[in-house]
Amino acid sequence: MNREIAPGIHWIYEAGSDRTEQFELAERKPDWYESGREAYVPQCAYLVEGDNETLLFDTLSPASTDQILDAIDELVGTRGLDYLVVSHPDVPHAGNTYAILEEHSETTLVAPAYGNDHELYKLDESLQVAEGDSIDLGNRVAEFHEATFLDAPVSVWMTEQKTETLFPVDWMGFPHLDEESLLFVDELDGTFDASRLVEFHGRVLFWYQYVDVEKTNAEIDNLIEKFDPEIIAPAHGLVIRENASEYMELMKDVTQTIDNQGRIGTLG
Amino acid sequence: MTVSVTPTVKWVAQCYDHNEKHEHVSLYLLEEGDDVVLVDSGSFYHREKITSEIEVATDGSGLDAIILSHSDYPHAGNVRSLGGDTKGIELVASSGSPEQQGLPDARKCSIGDRLNVKGRTLSFIDPPLADRSHTTWIYDHSDGVLFTADGFGNYHEPNQCGFISSDFDEMIPAEEIYEYHRDNLVWLRYVDPEKIEKALDSIFTEFTINAVAPVHGNPITGKDVDVYLSRLYETLSRIAAEYDVG
Ligand SMILES: [Zn+2]
Ligand SMILES: [Zn+2]
Repeated sequence: MNREIAPGIHWIYEAGSDRTEQFELAERKPDWYESGREAYVPQCAYLVEGDNETLLFDTLSPASTDQILDAIDELVGTRGLDYLVVSHPDVPHAGNTYAILEEHSETTLVAPAYGNDHELYKLDESLQVAEGDSIDLGNRVAEFHEATFLDAPVSVWMTEQKTETLFPVDWMGFPHLDEESLLFVDELDGTFDASRLVEFHGRVLFWYQYVDVEKTNAEIDNLIEKFDPEIIAPAHGLVIRENASEYMELMKDVTQTIDNQGRIGTLG
Repeated sequence: MTVSVTPTVKWVAQCYDHNEKHEHVSLYLLEEGDDVVLVDSGSFYHREKITSEIEVATDGSGLDAIILSHSDYPHAGNVRSLGGDTKGIELVASSGSPEQQGLPDARKCSIGDRLNVKGRTLSFIDPPLADRSHTTWIYDHSDGVLFTADGFGNYHEPNQCGFISSDFDEMIPAEEIYEYHRDNLVWLRYVDPEKIEKALDSIFTEFTINAVAPVHGNPITGKDVDVYLSRLYETLSRIAAEYDVG
């Protein structure tokens, strides 16, 4: 399942399994959940087409090898895939790296320059990118950034300058209900409930339960100033394409809420 | 190299060479009667050595179960080559999304649970130091060993590969503990050190811990555990203090 977010930027979506039972949603009844519905925390990859070159950001999980290979064929056709960027070598993000490289001998593997054990992830022969590095695709440029809120040390974030899209990987993910797959946040019924962000970060960013709230929220202010994006394209949520910075502001409440209530559970 | 940590826990020490310093990428064996349970499976990078160490340690009869702290490649890199998806070898993993993690046949262990694996009672603990959401620490009730995955690591000198903590002149150096955590648990820059100390204290109060068994460090035994904890607390304060949000 794919959807074009903006001309030349494609969202490739993997639903994963229904989380209703795992998250005990019927019993816990978080504000965002409607009883009787299914709930998903997706895996998302993004394909960026420039005039000259194409770039894929992340690979979906090993449960979706055929899907990502088909999506690449459908979206780049005979142009080929020039770059595969792995945000971090976590299985659900990077699990199809070798399947893609096997099919696409033309592709350059791009990996985070951060961390010090690339060889253990078979990333030692990649093009390594850090804050300030960029890849010119023709009429658009992908820029790379230190991943602020992460799990693995070998991590990188990306922005696309033309559309001012931020790809914050594991940050700013959130669950959605059945029938909300591939919707933009502005297409959801009613107002966006911040408890969706709490559900995700209270599981995936397990360390949010230990943060210094003031310091972390000052960092979020820095990110808002640094990126001020038009579009936010998370790896585990729906795409935000209106008032994106306001959703970054919401993340400060998320920090505070998790500090008060502790960790919700796991995801992974 | 295989080193005894406690009477029935053995450390299969493997090293990754960062030029001057080494980093362990190890695994552990639990021996329960005739059965052998592996805790984590190491990296593909050390596959040959790990396979032959296990061959020797099990007298050629092979493993009976594999338990994973999490699915990160340097921990889960040899699950298949060691037979972790065959009927004879039970695979236990903490992930809530086993298919997305590439481990569709694993038996699930949840944080907070207690499981019996091949006669061994194990508790699964929310880890204050980790690099993945679904990581679990594993406490072995028989020998009182806490397996801490990516927490409690340290870099070491090339002549210290098989040392347990008591083999060091003055225990594992604070600087090696600091550098490991700074490089590998980057998010520690945002934490309030007291909150992690509190979480660790509650684990060390709840469980009787005779040894700490990290994947990326030398095992810590007996009274060295308290010394390590005080060096770790200094590390946490130092990492937080050194990062200025501005
Ligand atoms: Zn590790
Ligand atoms: Zn060594």
